Amino acid sequence: MSMDSVMKDLKAINAKYQMFHTMSDDISAGDAKFLFSAKDNLTSKDMETCAGSRILEGYHPVFDATCISKLREAGGKLVGKTNMDEFGFGTFSTNSGFEVPRNPYDLNRACGGSSGGSACAASVIEDHMSLGVSTGGSICCPASFCGVYGIAPTYGRVSRYGLIDYGNSLDKIGVISQKATDLKKYMEMIAGKDEKDPTSMVQPDFKTAYRKMRSVAIPKEGIEGLSKEVEAVFKDAVEQLKSMGVDVDYVDMPSLKYAMPAYYVLATSEASTNLARYVGMRYGHQEGDHSLKFDDYFTEVRSKYFGDEAKRRILLGTYARMAGFGGRHYAKAREVRQVVINDYKRVLETHDAVLAPTMPFTAPRFDDISKMSALESYKADYLTVPANIAGTPHLSVPCGYDSNGMPVGMQFVADHWNEDVLFSVAEDWEKQFDLRRPEMSI
Amino acid sequence: MKIGLECHVQLPTRSKMFCSCPTADCEFPNTYVCPTCLGMPGSRPVLNKQVLIYGIMIAKMLNCEVNDTTWFARKTYFYPDMSKSVQITQYDNPIGERGVYYLDGKKPIRITRIHIEEDPGSTKRTADLTSLVDYNRSGIPLAEIVTEPDIATPAEAREFLTQMVRDLRHLLDIPDDLEWEVKCDCNISVGTERVEIKNVSGLKNAEKALHSEMVRQIAMIKAKKKIVRETRRYDPDRDVTISMRVKEFEDQYGYIDEPDLGIYHIKDLADSIRISESPQNMILRITSQYKLDPKMAKQLVNTSIDLAILFEDIAKEFGTPNAIKWVGGPISANWRAMESRGVTDLGKLKELIGEFSEGKITDTQCTIGIKSYMTGQDATAAQEDSAGLETLINKFLDENPKIVTDYQKNDKAANQVIGFVMRQTGGKYSSAEVVETAKKLIEARF
Repeated sequence: MSMDSVMKDLKAINAKYQMFHTMSDDISAGDAKFLFSAKDNLTSKDMETCAGSRILEGYHPVFDATCISKLREAGGKLVGKTNMDEFGFGTFSTNSGFEVPRNPYDLNRACGGSSGGSACAASVIEDHMSLGVSTGGSICCPASFCGVYGIAPTYGRVSRYGLIDYGNSLDKIGVISQKATDLKKYMEMIAGKDEKDPTSMVQPDFKTAYRKMRSVAIPKEGIEGLSKEVEAVFKDAVEQLKSMGVDVDYVDMPSLKYAMPAYYVLATSEASTNLARYVGMRYGHQEGDHSLKFDDYFTEVRSKYFGDEAKRRILLGTYARMAGFGGRHYAKAREVRQVVINDYKRVLETHDAVLAPTMPFTAPRFDDISKMSALESYKADYLTVPANIAGTPHLSVPCGYDSNGMPVGMQFVADHWNEDVLFSVAEDWEKQFDLRRPEMSI
Repeated sequence: MKIGLECHVQLPTRSKMFCSCPTADCEFPNTYVCPTCLGMPGSRPVLNKQVLIYGIMIAKMLNCEVNDTTWFARKTYFYPDMSKSVQITQYDNPIGERGVYYLDGKKPIRITRIHIEEDPGSTKRTADLTSLVDYNRSGIPLAEIVTEPDIATPAEAREFLTQMVRDLRHLLDIPDDLEWEVKCDCNISVGTERVEIKNVSGLKNAEKALHSEMVRQIAMIKAKKKIVRETRRYDPDRDVTISMRVKEFEDQYGYIDEPDLGIYHIKDLADSIRISESPQNMILRITSQYKLDPKMAKQLVNTSIDLAILFEDIAKEFGTPNAIKWVGGPISANWRAMESRGVTDLGKLKELIGEFSEGKITDTQCTIGIKSYMTGQDATAAQEDSAGLETLINKFLDENPKIVTDYQKNDKAANQVIGFVMRQTGGKYSSAEVVETAKKLIEARF
């Protein structure tokens, strides 16, 4: 299929799956070398950027995110900005001020989140790469639910310049694609130091040579609480890995269960300060009663245009930061982060990666999601959060399908800056894995 | 009574603290702005290293312990001119802590901390009750210097600020003709509860605001009323402080570390930074080294560091008496005149004093030579002027002999001469020159 015909079909595809919030007006591929899409929290000069929030409706950034400008320079054409949970706050892309993407394998099910639109686009569109962003699992979760490959690199590997912040000490930009070989190809384009993001300036060279994954450690904590079907699919996948010559050990990583509460303290504390700037001045929605005192006006705009989950996280984060709690919660959470890092380092001294299923269940139905409490959906991330809080690179690969035909993913976590071993295992896996494309009638 | 100050001064960098926008004044609002200082989503701060360097220099000047590592924090509050609703400042591990700064070389004022932070924009109220926001100032680097409550009176607070601002100006190389304002939050407790007067501009207003608040607190205590811990502001037109809000505590701003900026290991940088002697330290040193009248030391240094350096050069080359006689005398008197002409070469002055000390020229020739070089008058005119001034003063002293006896008790008596000469000549002579000549002539009559 030519890029031009892909471009021509995009509108119809989007009508069915709702992966895009904004699409390129220009439907010819021109002389583009490849097509890509980007999560809508990455700023783009030529397209409205809302990060899934109505408070940013109408915002046209004056600059491109570094990752987007690098892809454009490499000959890429940005075809659309993908739907997501508001500011990244969610696991199913349902906490959005706009459209909710639908799972390519079953339109009544979610794509996962928060980079749901990106995973959906990568799954459905021919030969397509989409940029995702992970704070607590937002790349691997939707990659798993949509049956595609996704990598969240080491924290600091890709410049965050132009990323609309959720939790700055956690946010990582990565790549989602149907093809394992795309991960390395596009990561190499977007990785690297960028003076506009000081946290990107300490990274060592990006390694691209093949390095075979020889051993993985499966933490006991990572195979608890799984659905029966995920457990069974994962078990088969582990056998398959062994047959590929990967040693498998079972280990204890007691710190993993503390990652979740620490994550929510860190992420919401940072988010509540990041979201303070959205007050109906300077960009986004600015209508409201201008005769009000400024703080009443700010309250009016924020009350009206932030979604419920954004409000919940602002409240949680503000509470965690406030007098008397700051030391108790925020400082403690940082200590926990270090403990989790140490736990990974200990295990990764003798193994190339830590392995577990990506999500404890397959993509849920929208009607089931609507019955879930906030806490239940937070808990669904217990397998992806630890690697995110540690800033270690992690990869989700499709590893099988449940009885409904929904994809199951497994997640490899490598040591800081060791993306190379993740690319290699993804490519090795792809060679022997029977990927089932979703039905594509439109 | 206890007074503590939080002083904010602007650091003289060319670009802003976290972006490359210029820090210069701009007559058009919202011109020197970019995504970072406007707080646009996706923008990020990048630290201007010069700000760290200035911060370390100030910490050293205030004899603070410079922390080996330092980092930034987010202070969250909502105000239209705060573009991110978050100010990047320092909370834990500021650049310097636990310093001490000696007032007049004697009284120690403990310095709690010095940290660096960004300035918000500014809000302008218009006649029709709307407000306009200008972000040109958003992201301009500031240093905040916090003292312990070691200051005893409002006058002492002003003295402290005057001395510190002079030392800071020299340290940061702020040109003499550049307006460089210090803004203070002034904390004062007459009894046990402390009141903060926010954002007072200028040294004089700081003293006045503290004085006004002191008077209010004394009256409250006399009336047996309770002083509440609160934040007030000072209205200089009415000379009163007005309650703004109940005092907030710093930790209510919900500080977290700034995650976009890392930890800065500044030990090596701090070790590599040498600061020059502060004007105040120079006053103390030359007073004791040359056994100078402290007033003369202060006058030399306050007139110009270069003048004080010339004093030291002359003292080393031709002896302290010559330095006192010539640098403390006619050179000091004509310094401003020379500066205003843009003359900076001091070789000729050294030459003249050299010739005098070798007996090649007379006292009068040397005086005339110095004056004509510094003011640009030709020697004859300078001589006539100088002779004219001496005649005028001698005539006045003849008519008022009491000045001579008064002067022996208090040298301020010489001031009477200035008024007379100024009236007679309409400001032809500088007051320094008049005082210097008057003192010489009075002392000749002892």
